[in-house]
Amino acid sequence: MLDRKLNVFAPFTLTLFCCFLFACDSYEVRQIKVDVPADVQVPDGMVYIPAGDFIMGHKEEPRTRLGETVSSHAYLIDRYEVSHEQYKKFRAEHSYHSKSAAYPVTHVSFSESLDYCKSYGKRLPTEIEWEKAARGTDGRKWPWRVFFGHPNNGFSGFISEPVGKRTEWISPYGVYGMGHNVWEWIGEGYTYSGQPENERDRFKIIRGGLLQTHITIKFSPAYFRNWMTPESKLNFIGFRCAKDVGKMGE
Amino acid sequence: MGKPTKIKKGEAFQFVRRDFLKLLSFAGLSTLLPGRVFAKDDWRNDKNIPKQYIQNRDLPDFHIRSANPFMGVDMNAWGLAVGGMVKNPIGFSYEDLFGMKMFTQISRLKCVECWSAKAEWQGFQFSELVGKVQPDPAAKFVYIQSADSYYESFAIEELLRPRVLFVLRMNGKSLSKDHGYPLRLIAPFKYGYKNIKYITSIKFMDTRKRNYWANSGPYSVDGTIQPGIDHPLDYNKKPLPINGGEVFHFFDQRDAGLNRSAPKKNSTP
Repeated sequence: MLDRKLNVFAPFTLTLFCCFLFACDSYEVRQIKVDVPADVQVPDGMVYIPAGDFIMGHKEEPRTRLGETVSSHAYLIDRYEVSHEQYKKFRAEHSYHSKSAAYPVTHVSFSESLDYCKSYGKRLPTEIEWEKAARGTDGRKWPWRVFFGHPNNGFSGFISEPVGKRTEWISPYGVYGMGHNVWEWIGEGYTYSGQPENERDRFKIIRGGLLQTHITIKFSPAYFRNWMTPESKLNFIGFRCAKDVGKMGE
Repeated sequence: MGKPTKIKKGEAFQFVRRDFLKLLSFAGLSTLLPGRVFAKDDWRNDKNIPKQYIQNRDLPDFHIRSANPFMGVDMNAWGLAVGGMVKNPIGFSYEDLFGMKMFTQISRLKCVECWSAKAEWQGFQFSELVGKVQPDPAAKFVYIQSADSYYESFAIEELLRPRVLFVLRMNGKSLSKDHGYPLRLIAPFKYGYKNIKYITSIKFMDTRKRNYWANSGPYSVDGTIQPGIDHPLDYNKKPLPINGGEVFHFFDQRDAGLNRSAPKKNSTP
């Protein structure tokens, strides 16, 4: 009798077990299907983001756009943060450990980051461009949408990762490192409603990265706005570049 | 009391029976003496730290942290040795340091434990020291040691930043024993553990050494203050967001920047 019951439930149990196994497999971020216009050339290492609306900010974060629907033009943005290896091609004196070639360049000021982008006919992204590339259009909190705690290793410091390592944490447009690696310079000043006079024109926006207290590390939401004096060179700040569509080769 | 015996080069050391008996009797007598007669070098794993020792204290205005409790620096024996990969190694006395150009700044010390506290610091900049010792261009790092067995390391570039000070005075007075007398570092964009106290030597190097806490626990060698939350002691430890790097809260005066003070040669700290 017991044997018969086991035989009946065996396929069902096996199916459940297989589902469990697949569910535990690496998480994949569903990608937004983008049709790149025929007359647009997307350079290597960049991603085309189409024009259109998206949800920006969060209603509980007063210094953001409060979850408004915001419209963007079409643009190009680097798929990865700029690495040490790339930065050295721009600035020969830049030095790094040979094992760190694929890690994001850090200790670069706002103007150094901008100079790098300009040298390739690019610029730093605007805040709208950065947030749309990170969140897609559905107002998600993290680029990869699903909440999970940061795999804090109990280390009270900052460790970056190779810029293309985390395929499970890409954005819905396939952009890497927008919520877990270095913070990134944005090509705009940090302003908000009610900002004190002595703070105006003092800071630039930085986006992405991690929030940390002692040995607690959390992902920052994709709408979180951080700020920094432009001359700062710190171990947790890097950058990526953006570009207007249709300007390649001009 | 006899003179210390010098052993000539090539001469074998002979341990005679009389010496052995002297040593044995002294060791026996020593067990009758109270423990505190003898200096203890390491109190790190001992809860019975004598009250007069510098040690962790949660004072309301500024918590004190001590990696290895000790009595403080013996100024008769103290000097600052600056050397390593330099053209001119120099030994400084305490008085020598007051011949440096003095700078005053108000900055916050942010502990990795989450609290922060603010003070006015006065000291000299690393650039003046660099000018005096003239490091080899290949030297990119410094290794700093202290009188309480603590040690830290930095990239030279980090110490050359304008708000980094080698501090002799705090809130208008010479540093107290608790805060690192006679000499400490204030690097406001680094967690408190990087702000080494009781400095005795600075060595220029071409490779980076690790620091005390990175060798003792899950703490980074770099120690840059990360974006997150601070609990300032002067704000009743209420949580406030911080953007990373040097901590300034909304009630802090950012414009109270670095002021050059008149050189205080021969001034008594």
